[in-house]
Amino acid sequence: MPVKRLLVLAWLVPISVAGAQGTRLIYGVVRDTIGQPIRAQVTDIRSGRGTTADGYGRYRLTVVAGTAVLRVGYVGFRSVVDTLTVAPGDSLEHDYRLEAAVVELQPTIVTAAKHSQLLDQSVTSVALVSDTDLARRAVSGVDEAVNKAPGVQFLNGQVNIRGSSGFVEGLGSRVLLLVDGVPANQGDRGGIDWDMVPVADVGRVEVVKGAGSALYGSAAFGGVVNLITHEIPVGFHGQLRATGGAYANPPYDAWQFRDYTGALGGVDATGSYGRETLRGSLTLGGRHSDGYREQDRSDQWETSGRAEWLPEPGARVTASGAWTSHQYQVFPTWCVPGACDTRGQALQPFMIDTSGRGSYTRSNKGYIAATLDRTSSSTFAWQARASWLRTHFTDVNPDDWSVANRVGGELRGVLHAGGGDDRVLTVGMEGARTGVTSDIFGDSGRVGDHTEFEIAPYWQVEQRLGRLRLTAGTRLDHVTVGGAEPTTVVSPRIGGVLTSALGTWRASVGRGFRAPTIAERYVTTRALGFQVVPNPDLRPETAWSFEIGNSGTFASWGRLDAALFWTEARELIEPAFIAVFDPVAQDTAAEIQIRNVSRARLRGLDASVAVTPVPSLTATLAYLYLDSRDLSLDTVLSFRPKHLVTLSTDYRWRSLSVGADFRYTSRIERIELESVFGLDPRVAARVLDLRAGWQQGPVSARLLVNNALNYLYNFVPRTLEPVRTVSVVATWTY
Amino acid sequence: MIAAMQSRVVWAGIVPVAAAALLACNEGLHPITCSGICGTVTFAGAVPESTQAVYVVAYHTFPHSRDSLFNFQPSLSSLHALPLNGVPYFYDISVEPGRYEWVLAVWVKQGFNLTNADSTLREAGYYRSPADTSQPGVVTLGGAPASSINFVVDFGHMHPPCHYYNPPCP
Repeated sequence: MPVKRLLVLAWLVPISVAGAQGTRLIYGVVRDTIGQPIRAQVTDIRSGRGTTADGYGRYRLTVVAGTAVLRVGYVGFRSVVDTLTVAPGDSLEHDYRLEAAVVELQPTIVTAAKHSQLLDQSVTSVALVSDTDLARRAVSGVDEAVNKAPGVQFLNGQVNIRGSSGFVEGLGSRVLLLVDGVPANQGDRGGIDWDMVPVADVGRVEVVKGAGSALYGSAAFGGVVNLITHEIPVGFHGQLRATGGAYANPPYDAWQFRDYTGALGGVDATGSYGRETLRGSLTLGGRHSDGYREQDRSDQWETSGRAEWLPEPGARVTASGAWTSHQYQVFPTWCVPGACDTRGQALQPFMIDTSGRGSYTRSNKGYIAATLDRTSSSTFAWQARASWLRTHFTDVNPDDWSVANRVGGELRGVLHAGGGDDRVLTVGMEGARTGVTSDIFGDSGRVGDHTEFEIAPYWQVEQRLGRLRLTAGTRLDHVTVGGAEPTTVVSPRIGGVLTSALGTWRASVGRGFRAPTIAERYVTTRALGFQVVPNPDLRPETAWSFEIGNSGTFASWGRLDAALFWTEARELIEPAFIAVFDPVAQDTAAEIQIRNVSRARLRGLDASVAVTPVPSLTATLAYLYLDSRDLSLDTVLSFRPKHLVTLSTDYRWRSLSVGADFRYTSRIERIELESVFGLDPRVAARVLDLRAGWQQGPVSARLLVNNALNYLYNFVPRTLEPVRTVSVVATWTY
Repeated sequence: MIAAMQSRVVWAGIVPVAAAALLACNEGLHPITCSGICGTVTFAGAVPESTQAVYVVAYHTFPHSRDSLFNFQPSLSSLHALPLNGVPYFYDISVEPGRYEWVLAVWVKQGFNLTNADSTLREAGYYRSPADTSQPGVVTLGGAPASSINFVVDFGHMHPPCHYYNPPCP
């Protein structure tokens, strides 16, 4: 042990000394034009490091000595980009005053190119969900916030970016989830646990649309969602948030299913302490829901923590982790005649098919990640990270379970040739090992193990040529699953951005792919009365994704972003019926198997406009037109609505605010298993959410009325979407 | 200037939301209830390849002769074929108030016309009396519709109309 201590000390001391010698601090206060403090985000654009001002608007940021370019921004205000010179060993006090302007001109993003860049430099479309959006909606889950982003839609918990995923319950996702850049899709099913990270930790969300495999590999087939957690500010800080609410009862007597009103509630507490060199935060939370349907209760406990060590400017060591335990009853499908007593009705959408009575799931999940960020000079920065992601679910009725452990790492370097953004080279290597032990994804219905290895080098170069900025990159993924043929996929992407008097034009073409998950290869179960059999020979699904778009401001109070997109997909992995000869019964029986079956085309228009007609009033309109075709069957792709419209408006007056979201989703034209569920009613979705807020100093309260008109609808077969939910969220921030 | 700003507020903030709210009124899923006689039919046996359609109909009085074979409700133009995918189906037929002695599913063979009814129509299942399941159940509609008139359509045990004539066919 003494030897180990000496080694640790030998590593720590030089860095600590360097840190003491290199303290370059910029600090000050951020206020609006009437002197009110703003919890602004202050970012060093070159290094990507940033901090969040506290409730008094105070910020402190350490930077590399010399010239620093800071961006000070907050949604609802026009960002300031400022160049400051800080002498080595010196500190600089600098205050900022932000003008109200909801049209955010130059947000900084980190996901599209795996390094910090301005939004207008991205060759692909990126939607942002800011901390203001999260706070306004006071969401209880990250998915609720992402769901309102332009071009994004959830189908019973499965995220779609421009119709990427459709709906395959519990198996596979064509969207990659990152938590601060760390891949977080489940190791066995490839899906996304949106409850993996407490929403209290999430500062903003970046949604990169279109194939992102050139940088992110498998699962980034349709896009990437990056949850970016809050920066830990200097000093003691804390937040306590309590939520209470109730679900509306069915609006028709014929559909009543209980004699009480369903409730929901929860408490989240976050505390943090930060100094210049050491910072940490801890979040604890719990929530309960009675659900809005029969057999729909859930209980969730969650915790997360983060520690940061900043030994010197340009160096940061981060350790983070989260753990969530979620127990929830499973609402199988709603009740139709023959499946329960429908009381003379054609359907009972609040009641369950009695064959699923008693179904519930216990789902534990968590991750640990360690990251070392190092800005070696004004031109070169690198990052090394390691992570461990674990998911463990146990289902009751049907009984099955699975444990997945994914251990991954990445080493990445970013070179800013000449110190600026004119030429940027990103090179990296990512690898992971996934181990799955399960009875449902195991060995033909018995408990078994499967292991998957991935290794992927990648590079991307960005070059500015006058008003044109070109980007090119490639990633090579080599995936090996025990017992199956190794797979190697090359995913290139090229693109360009051109600034002009008519806004910023962007265009890109790239390849996306998704390797079949272990669950898709080896699932053995029964579904809808049919045996589901494994298919270890599944191949990756691939796609070419094209996009051309434009963004720009108009009339000084509006911003428009529009993109035409086109994706040609091959060998989509989907469930299919197969005929199998039963030698015992001497007959042919139908079974379900996950197969490479479809060629598909998804194309359309993804547009949004944000306006600020008067200070303190914002309105955004987003529209997605989706033309999706299953080219194999010459039909519409299943579970893809053609039109998606999102309208949001918010008004702020002194300490009060009101807002509304309206989401229209056209009727889903085609579903899987049309012969079984096709006669069920399906309607377009028209959902209105209302909100009101009050904030005074450290205390705020928000009233939320989601689905205010209690509009009843479903996206996937026999699964009712949430009814009207009224909740109050009280927050105290220190 | 102020008028212009107010106009912007109205157009950007209020009008779209109000319009959206109006769009959402009186839509969505709603109960599908009885308008006359309704219930659930479940299916047994293999659907014959020669099937043209299967309908649910109701007779005020039991049809004991060919003359009364077509005295059923609802009218021919209001008939809706049952989906034959093996999944239990909620049917609902609009009929006048009154007493109905026979509620049944009628199988129609391809090539049916009014002259060959005896050979192209079959009783494929009927609502049975809860007290004596060997007998047809009587359904009475007063002011309220009759729900839960459930029965089985069994393609393996179908009978021609003359099976119920008086005298029955040999």
